[in-house]
Amino acid sequence: MEITQLILTNFKNYEKESFQFSSQINCLVGRNGMGKTNLLDAIYYLCMGKSYFVPNDRYLSLHGTDFFRIEGHFDREEKREKIVAKVIPKKKKELERNGVPYAKLSEHIGFLPVVIIIPDDTLLATEGSEARRRFLDNTISQLDPLYLKHLIQYQKVLRQRNAALKQMGESGRFQESLLEVYDLQLQMPGLYISEKREAFVEEFNPILAQVYRTISGGAETASCSYRSPLQKEPDLMELLRKHRDKDRILHRTTTGLHRDDLVFNLDEFPLKRFASQGQLKSFILSLKLAQYELIKKNKNQRPLLLLDDIFDKLDHHRVDHLLALLLDGDFGQVFITDTDQKRVSQMIESRDSSYREFLITKGKATAL
Amino acid sequence: MKTTTLSRSGYKFANMNFSSKLLENAVDAFASLPGIGRKTALRLVLHLVQQAPETSEEFADAIVKLRKNIKNCQVCHNLSDEPVCEICSNNRRDKSVLCVVEGIRDVMAIEETQQFRGLYHVLGGIISPIEGIGPNDLHIDSLIGRVQTGEVKELIMAISPTIEGDTTIFYISKKLRDLDLPVQLSTIARGVSFGGELEYADGLTLGRSIVSRIPYRKDE
Ligand SMILES: Nc1ncnc2c1ncn2[C@@H]1O[C@H](COP(=O)(O)OP(=O)(O)OP(=O)(O)O)[C@@H](O)[C@H]1O
Ligand SMILES: [Mg+2]
Ligand SMILES: [Zn+2]
Repeated sequence: MEITQLILTNFKNYEKESFQFSSQINCLVGRNGMGKTNLLDAIYYLCMGKSYFVPNDRYLSLHGTDFFRIEGHFDREEKREKIVAKVIPKKKKELERNGVPYAKLSEHIGFLPVVIIIPDDTLLATEGSEARRRFLDNTISQLDPLYLKHLIQYQKVLRQRNAALKQMGESGRFQESLLEVYDLQLQMPGLYISEKREAFVEEFNPILAQVYRTISGGAETASCSYRSPLQKEPDLMELLRKHRDKDRILHRTTTGLHRDDLVFNLDEFPLKRFASQGQLKSFILSLKLAQYELIKKNKNQRPLLLLDDIFDKLDHHRVDHLLALLLDGDFGQVFITDTDQKRVSQMIESRDSSYREFLITKGKATAL
Repeated sequence: MKTTTLSRSGYKFANMNFSSKLLENAVDAFASLPGIGRKTALRLVLHLVQQAPETSEEFADAIVKLRKNIKNCQVCHNLSDEPVCEICSNNRRDKSVLCVVEGIRDVMAIEETQQFRGLYHVLGGIISPIEGIGPNDLHIDSLIGRVQTGEVKELIMAISPTIEGDTTIFYISKKLRDLDLPVQLSTIARGVSFGGELEYADGLTLGRSIVSRIPYRKDE
């Protein structure tokens, strides 16, 4: 699967610009703050129906304007697909495929698989559990449309349950039967989500270990383990019942799948505590490339690979190693941003991949 | 004196200048209604001004009488002229079946289908703590009370197929079970061809789903 053409209107610092991409490697070069990452984000938006960086669509339209539009033409399974995202004030955001709007954004997820790798990904290892759950959900949602449906449902019920707890706290009237109803409503999507997360981790681990070895050349085994409150009490309703007193005191739902986590390990040691900077970087890169492999394997389709500044702060030797890996590996269409105009092009020219290079300057692109 | 500005394209409505305070008051009153902007309000008011004075009197009278005399039926909470509404006091209707709905417009939509011969119970909304609506804000207790009289054998839950709708159905069914009340619960075929709200369902679909309601397992 690949994107052949992209047309941006008022998206971040692009007022009006269009691009014709190579089906293999596309390099986006330019100085800091010129719009390289924004371009990756536009492509990501067409695949996932939202920005990877900015949750609120309001901040995505060019300063001084109040709407934006992203149009992309894709080649997918021998068919051309036109995807358009439109955000207009006071209207619901619209995503359409070949002129037909999706009734629900979630129906589109997984249609155009994508993996994005950014320098900040190391936060996955160092920050709180939310980022890791997002990684899990992002990956599984692209593989299984039902997963996303259940996840949305679980989150909606959870929000109502939390609002109910808050109100009960304010009024001082505890309504146990209402909470029991919410527990029941969490159960069905909850069990589905939990099963899928567990199965995902199992399938993911061997791939992760293998990618890590290739990237780092190290002998350690990279792995991740799934942690869930359900492991102590597999019956979600029972688990929620046990926490009811705590919920009543804290006015929120203190247990459930929204407390799941992934723990990253090198051999038997938690990455967070023992890994060196280099090991951490290699681990996170492996995590994302393993995500790529797993999606590719399950969907029988190569995801788009968006690489933002991955050469940043790597020494010359490691850049060569990484580039060789990317160029020789079985990847489909790849987008690479870099502030160094020479670095990537020299490497690529020495091979015979088809590639295209764009110089990005303040929201304008010149094909080189 | 303020004057109405006339431009080539007609009156400038964004900032209306009225020659008459009476006119302005009337426009303000109409424009305070949902779905009516100031432009429409002005059109309605100018229309009334051009009619005979009796037209306006009858119009105003209808509103005043409505507001003064309309009641909520003591039994089903539907709108009614009398303390008990026409549906509830109609002896030819089947008192053993209650159709439980969110609002008054749902009653009208279902009545339109002429497929239902039982009685109604209007909850006045569905449970949604995010919007500040808890079970005690709805007519759930009076529903339980009606079931407790023993006359009701079946409840048809004609509630929108949303998470909040489910919460409401589960909650009511739980209450009934906790009180050990032997009543059959069923839902109308939900979410088949109407996308969400009952009142937008076309008559045929709604009528059919009332007839082909599905039994609801209380222990689910
Ligand atoms: N809504 C917006 N309207 C206009 N400009 C915006 C908007 N959002 C972001 N920008 C601008 O986009 C620029 C950042 O673009 P981007 O992050 O793509 O840069 P980059 O080329 O990736 O730079 P770097 O090499 O530093 O990563 C900033 O100058 C920022 O002000
Ligand atoms: Mg950048
Ligand atoms: Zn009545």
